[in-house]
Amino acid sequence: MTGRILSHAELIELIDLLGASRRLIGPVRRGDHYFYEPVAGAARLALDAPQCVYSPKSFLFPPEETLLTFEKESGRFVAQPVLHDAPIALIAVRPCDIHGIRLLDHVFAAPPGDAHYEARRRQTFILGMDCAEPCRAEAFCADMSANTAHLGFDLMVARLAEKLEARATYAIEAGSETGENVLAEFGRGRAPGAVDEAARAERAARKRQAFPKRLRCDVDELPMALQRGFASKTWAQTAQRCYSCGSCNLVCPTCYCFNIRDDISLDGNCGSRVREWDGCQLRDFALVAGGHNFRSDPAQRLRHRVMRKGRWIQDRTGLPGCVGCGRCDGACTAKISIREMFNALAEEAGHDGD
Amino acid sequence: MTVIESMEAGVRTSPYVSTPARVLDVEKLTDLETLFVLEMGHGRALDHRPGQFVQAWMPGIGESPISICSSPTRGRAFELCVRRVGEVTSHFHRFRPGDELGVRGPYGNGFNMRSLEGHSVVVVAGGLGLAPARSVIQYIIDRRDHFDQFHVLYGTKTPADVLFRHDLSLWRHSALMNVMVTVDRPDEQWRGRSGVVTKLFADLPPLDPDRTSAVVIGPPVMFKFVVIELMARSLPADRIFCSLERRMKCGVGKCGHCQINSEYVCTDGPVFTYERMRSLPEAI
Amino acid sequence: MKPRIAIFSLTSCEGCSLAILELEDQLLALLGGVEIVNFREGMTERAWDIDVGFVDGAVSTPQDEEEIRKLREHCRTLVAIGACACLGGVNTLKHQQPPLEYREYVYGAGAKWFPTTSARPLSAVVKVDYELPGCPMVKEEFLHFVKCALTGKQFRLPADPVCTECKKLGNLCRYEKGELCMGPLTRAGCRAICPAYGSVCEGCRGLLGADAVAAAREVFPARYGVPFDRIADRLRLYGAYQDDGENAISGVLQPSR
Ligand SMILES: Cc1cc2nc3c(=O)[nH]c(=O)nc-3n(C[C@H](O)[C@H](O)[C@H](O)COP(=O)(O)OP(=O)(O)OC[C@H]3O[C@@H](n4cnc5c(N)ncnc54)[C@H](O)[C@@H]3O)c2cc1C
Ligand code: SF4
Ligand code: SF4
Ligand code: SF4
Ligand code: SF4
Ligand code: SF4
Ligand code: FES
Repeated sequence: MTGRILSHAELIELIDLLGASRRLIGPVRRGDHYFYEPVAGAARLALDAPQCVYSPKSFLFPPEETLLTFEKESGRFVAQPVLHDAPIALIAVRPCDIHGIRLLDHVFAAPPGDAHYEARRRQTFILGMDCAEPCRAEAFCADMSANTAHLGFDLMVARLAEKLEARATYAIEAGSETGENVLAEFGRGRAPGAVDEAARAERAARKRQAFPKRLRCDVDELPMALQRGFASKTWAQTAQRCYSCGSCNLVCPTCYCFNIRDDISLDGNCGSRVREWDGCQLRDFALVAGGHNFRSDPAQRLRHRVMRKGRWIQDRTGLPGCVGCGRCDGACTAKISIREMFNALAEEAGHDGD
Repeated sequence: MTVIESMEAGVRTSPYVSTPARVLDVEKLTDLETLFVLEMGHGRALDHRPGQFVQAWMPGIGESPISICSSPTRGRAFELCVRRVGEVTSHFHRFRPGDELGVRGPYGNGFNMRSLEGHSVVVVAGGLGLAPARSVIQYIIDRRDHFDQFHVLYGTKTPADVLFRHDLSLWRHSALMNVMVTVDRPDEQWRGRSGVVTKLFADLPPLDPDRTSAVVIGPPVMFKFVVIELMARSLPADRIFCSLERRMKCGVGKCGHCQINSEYVCTDGPVFTYERMRSLPEAI
Repeated sequence: MKPRIAIFSLTSCEGCSLAILELEDQLLALLGGVEIVNFREGMTERAWDIDVGFVDGAVSTPQDEEEIRKLREHCRTLVAIGACACLGGVNTLKHQQPPLEYREYVYGAGAKWFPTTSARPLSAVVKVDYELPGCPMVKEEFLHFVKCALTGKQFRLPADPVCTECKKLGNLCRYEKGELCMGPLTRAGCRAICPAYGSVCEGCRGLLGADAVAAAREVFPARYGVPFDRIADRLRLYGAYQDDGENAISGVLQPSR
């Protein structure tokens, strides 16, 4: 067995070591909920936070960011890109969100690389926190093979003894050279022994049992089920409730669509281009000049999102388009559930096959 | 580093920073459409393929995808034909020679002209579709001996909408090609044909379906009927090339606005074979 | 020549007037020599030549009606600002009460001396070129509008609902607290200020479109056990007049059946 075993105090120390040269961002408790927020030290973090309301994507791909500034003078212009590369450490990132970040990495790195995302991402250290059990009733991460991450982090932590946090022990493993270097520099903790091995095996066994199957088809069967259901009545039936509010898009760790707008100063001589989050469920997402909307019907938009999450992104990138985090279900005030839609379509496809 | 140098460094780092391009000439084509002849500020050619587009930026106003309507065989300058429909395109129409706008690109797949060589080519264009089609037409004219028969079929709503009249009359009188133009609603002065563009197919000579390719660019309604005509002449679906339009913001396969089902028009397109389009329910 | 801007108030609460007072100072600081003609004291007989006239308040009295017609004549561009001017605003509440009662409430014992018509948005009486909704109107949007007017940029109201701004800010959704927020139905632009401060959106910037209202008719009864009429009552708080032009939705708030 590789990696090291850390006590709770050692883990806190390790995180503070990361924080010495990076801005620390991790789960903070606010009432009954947790949010990823910048903190001054590891002591402020809720390391055992189940799932944060929002994924940490906003720290890599902010809701609004200036892409470039420009100046105009006598009919000519000069434009300068704006890049941010201050080092950050994302702490206690859950497997689903790590899978989400992997997809963002893939999309933004595809040529021509998105320098703005890449500048941030290159300076981002990710310390993952494995899940031993589902965080919420809407989560179907296990069905999407996203409740465990083998790639996409610098360090991954799994809490072994699930008793009092202060007495907990953690198995920690490196997933990158940077992660290995940090562990070596830290130098604390101990090599895993037979007891730790047993504890880890026991945890893994428990984890296998802990995630109930919430999808009524295999993740491999999902793309075909969706494809068959393209003309299904489910889309229109469900979309009767859809506000086209876009909340499902904006909370999704794998949604990356954006809009770009121009801002200009009062004298018209300088300004900027700003990108902001956008979402395919919003009414005007596919609207073009002259007023033609390529997806004018809420049902078309709902289908587009669900097809993307369950099939098209996978087709394009080989990575899951939905990591099963359940955030879109939770955020939908119309109570439209992507998991229920997947299930309805899988069932229809099943009947077709009979 | 001078400001311009650092800006060029920026062009390499951020795909959203445009390069300045200078307006060399402006020609009003119709009430709504104007032709702009441009040259990149760095003096090099755009190095584009027929059917590709650029993102044209009016700093502070916005950016629009516009097809390059000239062929790369015509030198360093390139041309854009812009229809005034909204904010950015209206602003574009105020540009005069010497003015500078931002250009990113060329973007999109464009037509693979080599794959058409040795074939007869039928170009069918409707309305503003003649703009991107013109890059193909000029290219074939300039490499005429690489292609077999060459037909251009063009339709607009009214005579006032006919674009590139000067080009059309040159082409019509040239022995290099067969050009047919029709309008849906003729007026008293119109001497040419009338009716929808598909009516022109009746006058096409026989084509060898194994060695003919078609380039179809126009409004979605036109596609459907043109494709029926082409299929009736046994043209295989993978030899029918169409260019599609969607809303675009980034032009580089990130922002998601241009999606047709699983495809991104800005990077997978804008040129699709009819065979591919058939498998995309939202394509037409 | 600097554009001449005029600001005028019809019947409205203090909220918008205060925001406008603040804005006048900001505008002067921003624009320097721009000429601001203030008509708050009422119309005089001098001749006006106004480029952009901003009007807040609903048309509630015959005097209001006369004044807004005059203003329309003298302003090249007429802009309605605030929920009252755009949607009728809280003034429309009086439709739900017997006339004398609200007059007594508003004007005290002398109520019978103040005949009022029903409160209507400006667009019910004259042609309005732009609307800057909100209760009170959003200062940043007002400044953005002035910027567009001066730089020749096209002004567009956001076409997305309040939820988009709420999510971008990272707020906790009020539904998580069991509260029914009108954000999904309401036009963005206020930076989701109400949810950001822990209360629900009451829809003061107006409904976004017929699709969202149709969805609400499904959602509230079936998913929350709340009849749509009760939701419509709430949305009427800021205005029974809702018509966003491109997507006519006036009438959608009429009681069902
Ligand atoms: C591949 C491709 C090639 C093209 N080639 C050409 C060409 O050669 N010549 C040509 O003239 N045109 C061409 N077009 C079309 C051209 O890009 C659009 O007409 C142009 O972008 C319109 O911009 P606008 O600012 O003038 O219009 P506006 O209507 O002002 O639109 C500005 C932006 O906002 C969006 N928008 C429109 N209405 C609204 C609204 N109500 N609310 C919010 N957003 C809105 C638009 O989609 C656009 O992104 C091409 C398009 C594509 C995709
Ligand atoms: S969705 Fe799954 S992986 Fe994500 S936090 Fe919840 S349990 Fe963990
Ligand atoms: S689609 Fe929903 S469940 Fe899937 S990753 Fe996005 S937010 Fe999570
Ligand atoms: S969150 Fe729900 S109501 Fe809003 S767009 Fe998504 S599915 Fe529709
Ligand atoms: S609090 Fe209101 S505005 Fe914010 S996301 Fe929830 S429903 Fe939308
Ligand atoms: S959140 Fe709703 S009620 Fe509050 S200011 Fe915005 S639109 Fe008005
Ligand atoms: S235009 Fe942004 S993805 Fe195609």
